[in-house]
Amino acid sequence: MSEYLLLIVSAIFVNNIILARYLGNCPFLGTSNRMDTAIGMAMAVVFVITLSSATTWIVQEYILKPFDLEYLQTIAFILVIASLVQLVEMFLQKSIPGLYRALGIFLPLITTNCAVLGVAVLSVESHMSFIKTLVFAFASSVGYGMALVILTGIRERSATSPIPVHLRGTPLGLITVALLALAFLGFAGMVK
Amino acid sequence: MLEAVLAVGGIGLIAGLGLAIASKIFYVYVDPKVEEIEEALPGANCGGCGYPGCSGSAAAIAAGKAPPNVCVASGPDVHKKIAAILGVEVKETEPDIARPGCYYGVEKADLKFIYNGIEDCRAAMLLNGGSKVCPIGCLGLGTCVRACPFGALSMGPDNLPVVDPELCTGCGTCERVCPRHIITLTSNSRRIQREYTTDQCTAPCQRACPAGIDIPLYIQAIREGRYLEAVRIIKETNPFPLVCGRICVQPCESVCRRNLVDEPVAINNLKRFVADYEMNSGQRIQIPRAPSTELKVAVIGGGAEGLTAAYYLNRLGNDVALYEASPVLGGLLRVGLPENRLPGKVLDWEIEGILEAGVDAKLEQKLGRDITVPSLLKEGYSAVVIATGGWDTHVAQRSEDMTTQPLPGVGLLIDFMLEQNGGSSALVGDYVMILGGGKAAVQAATKLLQSGAKAVYIVYRASHQKVGISQSELQEAKAKGVQFMFRAALYKMSGQDEKLTHVEIARLDEKGNISSKEEVLVDSLLLGVGRFPELIYVPRTAQTDEPGAPADESVLWETVVPYAGPSAKEEVGIFRPGETHSDYRAVVEAIGAGRRAANSTHKFLSGEQVQAPPNMIRKYTTVLNLNQIEPIPSIPRHKMPELPLEDRILNPDAEITLGYSEEQALEEAKRCLRCGLICYRRPEAGGQN
Repeated sequence: MSEYLLLIVSAIFVNNIILARYLGNCPFLGTSNRMDTAIGMAMAVVFVITLSSATTWIVQEYILKPFDLEYLQTIAFILVIASLVQLVEMFLQKSIPGLYRALGIFLPLITTNCAVLGVAVLSVESHMSFIKTLVFAFASSVGYGMALVILTGIRERSATSPIPVHLRGTPLGLITVALLALAFLGFAGMVK
Repeated sequence: MLEAVLAVGGIGLIAGLGLAIASKIFYVYVDPKVEEIEEALPGANCGGCGYPGCSGSAAAIAAGKAPPNVCVASGPDVHKKIAAILGVEVKETEPDIARPGCYYGVEKADLKFIYNGIEDCRAAMLLNGGSKVCPIGCLGLGTCVRACPFGALSMGPDNLPVVDPELCTGCGTCERVCPRHIITLTSNSRRIQREYTTDQCTAPCQRACPAGIDIPLYIQAIREGRYLEAVRIIKETNPFPLVCGRICVQPCESVCRRNLVDEPVAINNLKRFVADYEMNSGQRIQIPRAPSTELKVAVIGGGAEGLTAAYYLNRLGNDVALYEASPVLGGLLRVGLPENRLPGKVLDWEIEGILEAGVDAKLEQKLGRDITVPSLLKEGYSAVVIATGGWDTHVAQRSEDMTTQPLPGVGLLIDFMLEQNGGSSALVGDYVMILGGGKAAVQAATKLLQSGAKAVYIVYRASHQKVGISQSELQEAKAKGVQFMFRAALYKMSGQDEKLTHVEIARLDEKGNISSKEEVLVDSLLLGVGRFPELIYVPRTAQTDEPGAPADESVLWETVVPYAGPSAKEEVGIFRPGETHSDYRAVVEAIGAGRRAANSTHKFLSGEQVQAPPNMIRKYTTVLNLNQIEPIPSIPRHKMPELPLEDRILNPDAEITLGYSEEQALEEAKRCLRCGLICYRRPEAGGQN
């Protein structure tokens, strides 16, 4: 049990997928201007990463490994994730239109995002079991969502402050992310 | 190698097949129009249409819930494209544009404190209502500039927002974010229909103007030498600058803030100067006409009020016919003023402008003789506006052969009494209502009951203590069958063809608000009150519970009451205390009443509520003002040049006043303090220019 707890804490705080591993920077900056957008994005990320990690684990274990094709990992994973997201989108539109509208444009947007692929590859590389993969993927994506919400909160407040013109927008966003990453560095060493 | 190809190819094949099957299973019908429309929309997601983003707007348009031109952010090109997708015609509307209404930045206005917090007006507003003393002034922190999705706003040199009219799409985002409501959407139609409200920056002069002219703005235009622009500003609410410039009673000048220094600015002489300038320049300034509504409206009365109502109804896009009983237009302006005060050719030129705008004047058409309200409604007019300037005894009289009345079922109490005393039986029906009239009304009511009327009502606006009828008289009349209604207002009349059938009476509470309404069967209305205000007659559709639809030739009608002008003490009903006394004392008041009648008619025809903005500034509204100002160098007022006495004797018809020269006008315009609510041009703030 403590093994899983450690895994969760490590994925959320210590090895935060964005602030420690620097994966998925593009939507991180792109969707952190408004809180409602950020929350929509965070939900979509949790949804897609958890689902795709589970699928890619199956592909890895039952297709790539038996045929010694691990070197095709990246291509195969992208292919699978892209199709999966597409399928899920269709399913949601038909069956749960409410969730479909809530996730909206973010679902296709993160189809082949590096954070999504990164979590899938990471869990495969560290030879996790299926359950462990699921927990790791879920925790990692929650960490991503948390970082996104924190950054959005900061950016929303700083938007109304007197900021030098040349720093407004992305430059200040990047500086904020850097400071945030430094702060998260404080968790390093908590979990090995 | 082969394995790799097979594996990846296999995954791809399975995924592809799976998706193909899924797309069949999970197929959701999406109206292809929605996507097409969304593509045509600008994608700004400004929310100006009232739907959540462009996709919401596209869905609403495709579903027919919104018109193809609901998008305010795009122009006619996009509207036409959307209309083409839907296969419908697009009805073009007038573009709106944002206009900031504050004229003195934080540097020049009086401040309560220096604000040094978050750079956002909404945040600044939370701190004791903002740093300015003025409760509505611009805080200058640029919330509107940041909110504008089209980059049309910027902060000007005074730290006041400046609109780029080329980029502004009229989406209204700035209007929604401004915590002080100082930036608003405006268009010609909106400016014609404007009423000053308590959250607008207004100077004392413009609040005092019965016609509602934006006086500081036109004087500023004169100071900048843009005389024709000044005429345009005046004509937005007053189509008679030549006439008013000569004979106006100038309520504006008595409240001019310059009175606190020396003498008021010669506002009216300046108006006359630009109006004369327009006439002598040979080009006529017309405010643009709104897209056609394709509705016909008839205006009765060719005086200042009727001409004004007709002009603005025309400018708002309606087809207007103006009916005048006499062979000439102009009413009292024509017959009541000497040639040396208002020369006929000046009046001619002014009226010509109104006719040139597209008003179709029909002369020698007397209401009750040649035309009646129902006959006009039968001709296809969507509304008939009575703007006879007070509807006094003279107009209310029946035609000579005593067979028709000007207004169906409406007569004057005095006429009834004269006829009674003369021994003739009056044209009064079985169910009679008398409005006001004090004791005379009670007498008439008794007489009516004696001669066989089935029901007689007397309606008083005041409570019964204030009417001045003693308890015994009241009891006696009640015993005879007279029914009294105190604290009640005539709210609506309705009828069929030439007959009045019902009236609606609103019961008022202590504050003058409606507490309840009731419909009373009445076929004759006798007026014991002063003058009759403007009234709008519109066709009415038959109610389903009425037995038998009316025959083809028959027309059902009802009245719509124009919203109350600034001088009304109460807002409800047709006869409002204050209003009927005040609206016809001077031409400028008739012009104001005419414009409000036009606005009310237009509001009704476009399906809006016929009412004034709730925070409209009325005569009795308290508005922030100043009673002392900082010392300002005194500049004497320029006297109006007049014709020498000898010339006046030689030629008694020559105009006495001559009008300012251009230099005099420019000098006089510089005397204006360009006041706002509490701001004004101070000497150190560049007042010497």
